[in-house]
Amino acid sequence: MAQQPRRVGDTIAGLLTSYRPLPGVADELLDKSGQVRPVWRQFVNHFLALSKEDVAQRFARGDQHLRDAGVFFRQYGKTDAGERDWPLSHIPVLIHENEWNHISDGLIQRAELLESVVADLYGENKLVADGHLPASLIGMSKEWLRPLVGVKPRSGHYLSFVAFEIGRGPEGDWWVLGDRTQAPSGAGFALENRIATARVFSEFYPAANVYRLAGFFQTFRDALRGLRNENDSQVAILTPGLWNDTYFEHAYIARYLGLMLLEGEDLTVEKGQVMVRTVAGLAPVSVLWSRLDAAYADPLELEEGSRLGTPGLVESIRRGNLTMVNALGSGILETRALLAFLPRIQALRGEPLKLSNIATWWCGQQAEREHVRQNIERMMIGPALSTRPPFEPDGKTVFGGRFQSETLETVESYIDAEGSMLVGQEAVTLSTTPAYVDGQLVPRPMSIRVFLARTANGWQVMPGGYARIGRTEDATAIAMQRGGSVADVWVVSDYPVQSVTMLPPEGAPYRRTEPGVLPSRAADNLYWLGRYVERAEGVMRLLRAYHTRLVETANEDAPLLKRLREHLESYDADTDECIPESLRATLASAIHSASHVRDRFSIDGWVALNDLAKTARQMVQTAKPGDDAARAMGVLLRKITGFSGLVHENMYRSVGWRFLSIGRSLERALTTAEALENFADPKAPEGALDLSVEVGDSSMTHRSRYAVATNRKTVVDLLVFDAQNPRSIMYHLAEIRDQAGQLSEAVGKGPASDFLRAVSHVHGALAALTPETLDTAALNKAGEAIAGLSDVLSDEYLT
Amino acid sequence: MLYDIGLKISYEYDRSASTGRHMLRMMPANLPGEQQVVSASLIIDPEVQERSELIDFFGNTAVEIAYRAPHEKIVFDLRCRVDRHAPERGPVASPSLQALADEIAAYDSLEPSAPHHFLGRSPRVRTTPEMDAYARLLVKPDMPAFDVMKAIGEALHRDMVFDSKATTVDTSPEEAFAGKRGVCQDFAHIMIACLRGIGMPAGYVSGFLRTIPPKGKPRLAGADAMHAWVRAWCGREAGWVEFDPTNDVLVQNDHIVIGRGRDYSDVAPVKGVMRTAGSQTSEQAVDVIPLT
Repeated sequence: MAQQPRRVGDTIAGLLTSYRPLPGVADELLDKSGQVRPVWRQFVNHFLALSKEDVAQRFARGDQHLRDAGVFFRQYGKTDAGERDWPLSHIPVLIHENEWNHISDGLIQRAELLESVVADLYGENKLVADGHLPASLIGMSKEWLRPLVGVKPRSGHYLSFVAFEIGRGPEGDWWVLGDRTQAPSGAGFALENRIATARVFSEFYPAANVYRLAGFFQTFRDALRGLRNENDSQVAILTPGLWNDTYFEHAYIARYLGLMLLEGEDLTVEKGQVMVRTVAGLAPVSVLWSRLDAAYADPLELEEGSRLGTPGLVESIRRGNLTMVNALGSGILETRALLAFLPRIQALRGEPLKLSNIATWWCGQQAEREHVRQNIERMMIGPALSTRPPFEPDGKTVFGGRFQSETLETVESYIDAEGSMLVGQEAVTLSTTPAYVDGQLVPRPMSIRVFLARTANGWQVMPGGYARIGRTEDATAIAMQRGGSVADVWVVSDYPVQSVTMLPPEGAPYRRTEPGVLPSRAADNLYWLGRYVERAEGVMRLLRAYHTRLVETANEDAPLLKRLREHLESYDADTDECIPESLRATLASAIHSASHVRDRFSIDGWVALNDLAKTARQMVQTAKPGDDAARAMGVLLRKITGFSGLVHENMYRSVGWRFLSIGRSLERALTTAEALENFADPKAPEGALDLSVEVGDSSMTHRSRYAVATNRKTVVDLLVFDAQNPRSIMYHLAEIRDQAGQLSEAVGKGPASDFLRAVSHVHGALAALTPETLDTAALNKAGEAIAGLSDVLSDEYLT
Repeated sequence: MLYDIGLKISYEYDRSASTGRHMLRMMPANLPGEQQVVSASLIIDPEVQERSELIDFFGNTAVEIAYRAPHEKIVFDLRCRVDRHAPERGPVASPSLQALADEIAAYDSLEPSAPHHFLGRSPRVRTTPEMDAYARLLVKPDMPAFDVMKAIGEALHRDMVFDSKATTVDTSPEEAFAGKRGVCQDFAHIMIACLRGIGMPAGYVSGFLRTIPPKGKPRLAGADAMHAWVRAWCGREAGWVEFDPTNDVLVQNDHIVIGRGRDYSDVAPVKGVMRTAGSQTSEQAVDVIPLT
């Protein structure tokens, strides 16, 4: 009998033998009768038709994208903060649009509810006065910010961007697990998950009727712009900075939406107006999408010790000159105990909650406390004022009648002693969704974070989300804390969907967007990035020269080697180490500067820089003095010039690039002057002149330009005065002067720039000399003059 | 009682501060029925670029100032005349701590004087098992709240040594309590922590103390600097009662109120943020002269 072709039904049947949801737990893929839900069918067929190798290759493609994009997961371990690969579960969660519409309806209702509650808490306080909310819960919370009481937001709304954590219960209905209103994160990660997942399923995704995410972001950006008081004022994202675990996302969204990414110290307040310090002076900012916990936003009126905030920010809000998204103090809505009261408050508004939140009892009430006590086995008991979602417990948490951590007291006495500071929450069981583990699909619990943005037309729900997938099959919500993965969420229509991108529509009138203003701190980081990279390159060249000569002379005490060693020491480079620690530190500083300007910096450049530092780190173990170290330097030099090439060939000639370029030229001019001071000195050991030419990467040029062997005059002429040599001091001073002129124009100063004047002066003074008159003392003076330019630049543009 | 009050606070910076923004709470308060400011002037040197006033959540007047020009020092020079006429207040009737808890739970308001603001952790004060235990030993069964407050205030006055060298403005109450030494700020913070730990709402009051004692009475401690004491909520009926643990007295007309808050951070005379690379030193001089 001829073999039947393999049919779709067979593959699904095969799947069903291995994919077994837990009893009593809802599943996304399979309905109650064990059949694949219609919304999943096509996807499952597509996936099951792939060979294991094919699957592995596709997953690798998605992971590669994430690595290239620099998406990582910052982990705060007991020892130190490390980064690990982004834990993408490559199988998306599929939800039919009808079901999604139901979820959206419920979440929009909830967003409106939260808006009314927060408006009351900072306004009339009727909910407390009428006994719908206990005064003590609000009064004891550190999220209720007293300086903001009675301050109405300029926009008329407290909330403009919120997120909800939702999950599906055993009966198949959706539950809200927690409200995120302070500074919800994850929307940018959701976007990255989408891009990676779409790459994994690159043939299937385009025609799978999956709603796109770009439209949501576009609309929200327009909404943010609409909140400005003056059209020439700025909209920016306020970040706590690069030590925050979601900094990547802040930089990513800033770049994606074309918004400035600012830290508190970029801002200052003048007469109640928030201003950003830019290279062109102060520029007004009227909308901040804050990713910073509100308490840290203003050290003068909020958290005193905050180094992240801007003094005067609250005053600016009070005067109606600044819109915060969300309003400072909205974090009070995240309070866990509020979940106990919100259903009733919504009912007072005339209709019950469309999506329930997880059942919650505040132990500050006699009857509720008793209920928690009676049902302790089914409860999660934790701090009432906690603002964390239920699967991120903090403090002492009781689950199933037992403490999560070691403690001597009994649960009973804990409830008695802490009473009003505790809530009991029903221990939720989540639904499971397919994850690919060890070569097959298995059910894993999941919850989804959904994002809502307020627009001119009311709340919009991002059609998708950020799913967390549990590590084990334990479907209790609390198990989600123990590490897991994340996944894309596909909202699937029965019909083709409109494809929206952030690009202007085809045929739209051509418009060049105005280059944004450059914050001084960003300029400072770009300038130092330029300097650090150039310094590293210079030291690498010196080290290569050292180790090459070490092989040739085989005598560490040769005068030239000694002088070279001393010269390297002036850069803190110890030649006893093949890859000196100071060199690695310089590279680390370069990366540090670059990480502050991730939003302005190409991903390729970022990857190249990190690759360079990693290579240097690895070489520490292997490199040996002499030939091997010289070769190692060769490898590093190729990598660093590759990086410089990327930056200088591909980076747009923005104002930011000019600072990078000035940094590079200034450092090169300075290190060249310093090298010549040591190696072109008449008393320098034999071979020093050749060494200067080599370190100046100009050996070939010297041979072709001068028909003689190196002498002091030719060397100084080539490395200082020859304006055609991209390694000469005059070449770089001219470069800096050009950049200074362009900068001065760009910020509207015309020729009236201190820095331009100072550079012209240094350039002119040097040009008046000759190789004969530029002796060692004059070189030293020139070096100091060049170094001094840094302060002039800093005073004019960088503070 | 009429007072002429002079306060001079000066800051000197190692290196000049390029910009600065400060919030000042040093002006005596207008408190209907208790205290009235007859005249006042606050001169700030060097001249500020911005100056405005606001009433904060707790009803205190705060002056916000800003410098945009570099400066090496700032001197605040306050002179004012204040009429202090707090009503005579002996022991008041108050509920037991258990009944107080019920009164607090029934208090459906977050108005600035509501007890709820003064029970939980505040920026500078948190309860600790040590201070809790200390307070509990002093509370007898069914003791009225007012007596609890007095007992704890008296005990602290007995067990703590006034020592202006032992602590700084940033010393935490638990540290000061462990060393049993400190100044009025430490006494007040410790007493607040003790009271909150046993469920009694307690807040911080900043102010002045008359420098020269009435005839035949000893000079009060802490009179040569700004002073601080405690207010405790003794139930709806009695309301807030103020007690000075540094001197073991109920607050009356020897004390002039500047501001009331949860702890020092709500009423610090000068709060500020400036851009400077160096360190700073500060000095304070106070004169409180009774005129009648």
